[in-house]
Amino acid sequence: MSGAVTIERVDGVPVARVNKDIDAASAGAVREQLGEALGPDTHSLIVDLSETRYVDSGGLDMLLRLSDRLKHRRAMLILVIPEASQLNRLAAIVGLPQAMPVRPTLAAAQQAAAQLPTLESGTPLP
Amino acid sequence: MNRALETQVDAERPEATTTPEQPTLDSSTPERPPGHQATVSDCVVGYTSLEDMLCALLERIHDSLDFDTAAVLLLDEDRGVLLARAARGLEEEVRQGVQVPLARGFAGRVAAEGRPIVIEDLDHAEVVNPILRQKGIRSMLGVPVHVEGRVIGVMHIGTLAQRFFDEDDVALLQLAADRAALAIDNARLSEQRAVTAIMQRTLLPDALPQIPGVQLSAKYLPAGSGVKIGGDWYDVFQLASGRVVFVIGDVVGRGVLAASVMAEIRIALRAYLMQEQDLPRVVALLNELLVTMGRNRSATLSIVQFDPDAQEIEVLTAGHLPPLLVDRAGRAVLLEQPHGLPVGVGACQHYSARRYPFPTGTRLLLYTDGLIERRGESIDAGFGRLKRAAGEAAQRTDASFADRVYRVLLDETPLEDDMALLAIETQPLEDALDLTLHARPDVLAGLRGTLGRWLAAAGADEGELFDITLSTSEAAANAVEHAYGAREATFTVRCEHDGEVVRVIVADHGRWRALRPHGGGRGVEIMRSLMDSVAVDSNDDGTVVTMARKLSAGA
Repeated sequence: MSGAVTIERVDGVPVARVNKDIDAASAGAVREQLGEALGPDTHSLIVDLSETRYVDSGGLDMLLRLSDRLKHRRAMLILVIPEASQLNRLAAIVGLPQAMPVRPTLAAAQQAAAQLPTLESGTPLP
Repeated sequence: MNRALETQVDAERPEATTTPEQPTLDSSTPERPPGHQATVSDCVVGYTSLEDMLCALLERIHDSLDFDTAAVLLLDEDRGVLLARAARGLEEEVRQGVQVPLARGFAGRVAAEGRPIVIEDLDHAEVVNPILRQKGIRSMLGVPVHVEGRVIGVMHIGTLAQRFFDEDDVALLQLAADRAALAIDNARLSEQRAVTAIMQRTLLPDALPQIPGVQLSAKYLPAGSGVKIGGDWYDVFQLASGRVVFVIGDVVGRGVLAASVMAEIRIALRAYLMQEQDLPRVVALLNELLVTMGRNRSATLSIVQFDPDAQEIEVLTAGHLPPLLVDRAGRAVLLEQPHGLPVGVGACQHYSARRYPFPTGTRLLLYTDGLIERRGESIDAGFGRLKRAAGEAAQRTDASFADRVYRVLLDETPLEDDMALLAIETQPLEDALDLTLHARPDVLAGLRGTLGRWLAAAGADEGELFDITLSTSEAAANAVEHAYGAREATFTVRCEHDGEVVRVIVADHGRWRALRPHGGGRGVEIMRSLMDSVAVDSNDDGTVVTMARKLSAGA
């Protein structure tokens, strides 16, 4: 079955590739699939929007809320938006780069994830 | 025992069945008071339901023939079983929906052999229906119900005490069955016709979907009338991705069962395609479903998935005639596909699909064999005629393309079978785009696809295309949210381009929800940032969002 999100772990960091638009119709399903990528020891989640053409306000809202939720768990949501993507202008309008790291490539996002301190196992979650 | 009755003993099955000779239907034969036969035939008129009529008939027969139980079973030809439709003293038989296979048991043998059968002692006979034994029936007489030489059912009576049904009893029951036969057949036909008509209405799309840049037309002609509904059907629907799916198919056989299999295939295909884009996999799933459901019906079909953004079609055929593509120059090409068996034949089938470019101005015809096949003619002659007709129809503009192809073909040879024809034409988008959409989130992706193509044609660059499309999608998402809870609500999107400025008007009939708008209030912020102007006009009748953006190419 074709899902909207494919998830793989690279060096222990979940990378979620979104392969369709995130809008009012799909935001809920995408959010659910991203949630499945989160484990108790997840310190970062990379959401790769390289294949995504449109993200509407509902999709942006979902990403901002997810980022907030991860921050509460001392974890980080990191976005990949290629330099040529139209999504960069949109991200700037709603202040996405102020809320979470936005990187132009997956490699850059992975580098950002590697710099985050790892949670010691056994640390209770808030 | 009456001399006329010969005892027939089956060497393989030792049962005490006697088969009387076919009695003559000379009305003077039975030694009954006059008037009985008139009673029997009178009761078959004036009843609306088949069951009511049959029950009344059994009641009248009871006045003439002494018995404890009686039942009428009618033949379901598609499944080869007799179904209990009316009973007297055996009401459970109808309530429990007793089915007797042809040639098995008492009623099954009466129907298969097409002649009266007498059982003197049920203890020594093969009986399928357990109710007969439970009731303690001892002796039975069954006669076939004939119409024009074919058996359409069985009427039987039974007694608790052993009884020797004589020639007169047989003749009277057969007479009752014969008199009732035509009325039963008529009532059953009109019953099936009503069911079939309802199914036919629900099987074919009420209206073809409105897809900008795509002109659809269809023609469906059931050749037989009434219950002889054909097994042909077609379907068109748009997926959330904006792709459009066209299906045409033919279920083997006719009548209500063929129609119900058609309905199952139609729903299964829609359901699978909502989850899965891969056509070969979808058809393999459909095939597994049909085989595991044990319908014993196969169907041929063609599926075409049209991607308006890529201007491409993907074609899969399962034992069906190849679609015909007519290019811009009017050249007709059959899109012959790798071998694919009809669905429902056997498990574990594999299918494959091919893709073809489908640029603006191209036409595609999906059809069933009734359109081209003529008796005593090779299929190639039919293909040749179709290609010529499609080429000729492509040059004309009167009526729809499906209509034109059909008329050109019909001028040459008359139709012999039922047929379905679905025509797809891609056309350039108009200067102004007018869309009416269902107020559901799943229309947004299709809207963005259509608008993107229209904007590209209007000369918008990549950035402008993104900004205008996303802003329109935001306004549309608000319109969808306003209609929340309203059934069948729609909203409209109009896009105009005056050579310089693109104007988009999104109008709905709901209330503007200022407090909790879509996307946490960011929608309007996004629209205002991406467009040159945004005006929101909201009143009791609904909300109209008017946006404009100047194109750099037009400056």
